[in-house]
Amino acid sequence: MGLRSFFDRIEPDFVKGGKYERFFPIYEMVESFLFTPKTVTTAAPHARSYVDMKRIMTYVVIATVPCILFGLYNTGLQTNMAIQQHGAEGWRAAIVEFLGVGFNPDNPLANMFHGLLYFLPIYLVTLAAGGAWEVLFATVRRHEVNEGFLVTSMLYTLILPASTPLWQVALGISFGVVIGKEVFGGTGKNFLNPALVGRAFLYFAYPAQMSGDTIWTPVDGFSGATALSVTASEGVAALPSYGITWWDAFIGTIQGSMGETSTVACLIGLAFLLTTRIANYRMVVGCLAGMIGFSWLLNMIGSDTNPAFATPWYWHLVIGGYAFGLVFMVTEPVSGSHTNLGRYIYGALIGFMVVMIRVLNPAFPEGMMLAILFGNVFAPLIDYFVVQANIRRRARRNA
Amino acid sequence: MAQTYRNMLVDPMVDNNPITLQVLGICSALAVTSSLQVAFVMAIAVTLVTGFSSMFISVIRSQIPGSIRIIVQMIIIASLVIVVDQVLKAYAYEISKTLSVFVGLIITNCIVMGRAEAFAMKNPPFESFIDGVGNGLGYGLILMLVGFIRELFGSGSLFGFTILETVNNGGWYVPNGLLLLPPSAFFVIGLLIWAFRTWKPGQVEAREYRIRAVEAH
Amino acid sequence: MPDIDKQEQGQEQNQGPDFTPEMNPPVREEAPSRAETIRKGPIRRFLDTPADNTAKTVTVALLLCLVASMVVSAAAVSLRPLQEKNAALDKQVNIVQVAGLYEDGVDVAEVFRSFEPHVLELATGAFTDRFDPYQFDDRAAAEDMTLSAPLDDDPAGIRRQAEYVTVYLLRDESGALDKVILPVYGYGLWSTLYGFIAVEEDGNTIYGLQFYEHAETPGLGAEVDNPRWKALWRDKKLRDGEGNLAITVAKTPPPAGRDHFVDALSGATLTSRGVDNLVRFWMSERGFEPFLERVRAGEL
Repeated sequence: MGLRSFFDRIEPDFVKGGKYERFFPIYEMVESFLFTPKTVTTAAPHARSYVDMKRIMTYVVIATVPCILFGLYNTGLQTNMAIQQHGAEGWRAAIVEFLGVGFNPDNPLANMFHGLLYFLPIYLVTLAAGGAWEVLFATVRRHEVNEGFLVTSMLYTLILPASTPLWQVALGISFGVVIGKEVFGGTGKNFLNPALVGRAFLYFAYPAQMSGDTIWTPVDGFSGATALSVTASEGVAALPSYGITWWDAFIGTIQGSMGETSTVACLIGLAFLLTTRIANYRMVVGCLAGMIGFSWLLNMIGSDTNPAFATPWYWHLVIGGYAFGLVFMVTEPVSGSHTNLGRYIYGALIGFMVVMIRVLNPAFPEGMMLAILFGNVFAPLIDYFVVQANIRRRARRNA
Repeated sequence: MAQTYRNMLVDPMVDNNPITLQVLGICSALAVTSSLQVAFVMAIAVTLVTGFSSMFISVIRSQIPGSIRIIVQMIIIASLVIVVDQVLKAYAYEISKTLSVFVGLIITNCIVMGRAEAFAMKNPPFESFIDGVGNGLGYGLILMLVGFIRELFGSGSLFGFTILETVNNGGWYVPNGLLLLPPSAFFVIGLLIWAFRTWKPGQVEAREYRIRAVEAH
Repeated sequence: MPDIDKQEQGQEQNQGPDFTPEMNPPVREEAPSRAETIRKGPIRRFLDTPADNTAKTVTVALLLCLVASMVVSAAAVSLRPLQEKNAALDKQVNIVQVAGLYEDGVDVAEVFRSFEPHVLELATGAFTDRFDPYQFDDRAAAEDMTLSAPLDDDPAGIRRQAEYVTVYLLRDESGALDKVILPVYGYGLWSTLYGFIAVEEDGNTIYGLQFYEHAETPGLGAEVDNPRWKALWRDKKLRDGEGNLAITVAKTPPPAGRDHFVDALSGATLTSRGVDNLVRFWMSERGFEPFLERVRAGEL
């Protein structure tokens, strides 16, 4: 309890009137990270149940654990497999060799370790850069540093390719936190998902490092198409010739961003979020329905020139970032719709847009990121119409 | 009067800037700011058009029938814009190709119409001219700032001269592709407005509503 | 504060006379001399009429339109020669550049005089005298129903192909053929790319490729303008030893070998594919092959 008494001792310095009054947010952040907070949340978002925001955020981070673990394994696996062909170089390989872990892709622990060497620097840079902005804004605006950033930083890390240069990682999360969240007033007032804003920034700012076939596995000279880009250019039928089966894509041993390749890991997270009632099932149902419905429609229409039309819904589910976005971003409470009917519509809009962008837009094979941002923008409008419709219906009933 | 003229010229640069305070003329500011040279030519073109259109409108202001007031202003502005467009095509062909329709669209630039209607219709010619030039320069200033940021970090150059050698040409700088796309000007202008209003808090608009904090139980 | 006062005074003084006529008739009565009254009479009277008078509204509108149209047409007419020169020069610069004769400060019009323009009938590969090569407009011809035909199989994405195009021959001092400059165009990712391809006198070796108009993504597809990428085209061969069209823009070298291979632009798959398609289309039998055959045979 030494730590508790330390905090109790220094607290008077930070509360109103104390000599470090300005730095109260930092004190509060560290204290509430370590202990259950004594106070209640005074600003939006307000949890509409017994759980407080801290618990919501903690649960979401817990839900990402399967994705993190599998991401570590798959990043290491893909890297080690590429190293078999192209040889190892760089400081990570030096560490692996120094510790004698080896580059054997059949050894899961060696894969996990190598994956960690890619995951950890990106995650730490994200925490440092994004956290610096959070603290800066909290200090200037005198509000509390929010646990929301723990979730943002984790999601952001998981949707980056392992080869992302660290300075780009820092730039992206800075943009995400400042433009995606702080300019609107901070956590709870943002209408876009900050992690996705950061990712989208990198996607448009540094497309050469964020798209293509050479970036997914961080080994020089290695080129491996993602299931998504193959589907977009040659159709699902061509996937087996790249050695990708549906089960590979479902389990997640394919090329892709670090944490989003595994559909099964995402579904475990989804089960956790739904049973703890952190995620709202209506958004998930809406998003699945929109995706399945529109991809089925495109299957029916068919196209001679665009092979992506024929992609069935169960492939859409397992390739690219669909599953990850569905579980961790569509269900995000702040940037989504807040009315129950609105949540179905919001989900369906995203599901529809994903397929639309993946199939019909030649330039962007990955639609999930853009579709969710699109949905975020429309969420308040959807809520507005749902509320207006309710008001009209009641007015009629009572007329 | 000298002090007044100076104020009229300087006032629209910061204190009453048509872009950052009045948020006018945004469309062309998005389109022509990916390189500094183009932004510079556009700034000059707009300055000339606002200055002279305000002056001509002011000269005949007492003769303009109220019923066709806007059309008369439009004719004067449009004629000037066409002249500017023709001159550019004759003497700066390369730049006029990049500016393409945006020179023609100066006609619809709210700043030009705004100054004609708000100032030139009520004030003598010389004052109107100064006012128009001042507003054109205020617009140009923002254009140049945005162009500076976008060209320097988007292409690693300024006025076409390489400042940061890009990776594609064997250098070290990885250009930021987002800045070459028009929407990036939204962010840059937004951040500029933020900076201006932090510098001059008087420009901050009154809040329409305030979210109330919940009282502690 | 005093500034504002002055400004307001200035406005009042200035607006004074404009508003007075009706309220202050003596101004008109006390005109200085009879001659001036007569001479300025109608104009003065017109200026003094209230602006909202219908007759005056019409007159002001007409007068303004007249003046404006005169100014605009004066500018357009007097500047037209310069503009036409610029437009012509713009195209010439590209032709001179793709042939590798461009340097800073060079007199483009002068250099361009060494190029021989010809209108070519694509199907036969022969020159035609039906059109004046200096006046022939390739783009208008591609739209013209009588001069172009729709394409069923359309890899370059151009929809209609003209039967005639303008090509440029460059000869060395002895009069022997040095290069041919061929116009090519086709669809990339967002836009149609227009450009020229320069082929050496052997009718098989590429000297250069240059696009002068496109709207591809800046930083990705727009890298077709990057000199480093354009330099990759130098000395590539269109056809392999057996005469099959082998040139390609791809990520990996084709079986035909590196002589026929231009590395695709990184991150711009669809623009690269577009360039690949359009170059292969225009160099095929449906494009310039009949003409290039004649070049190879040394007929020019």
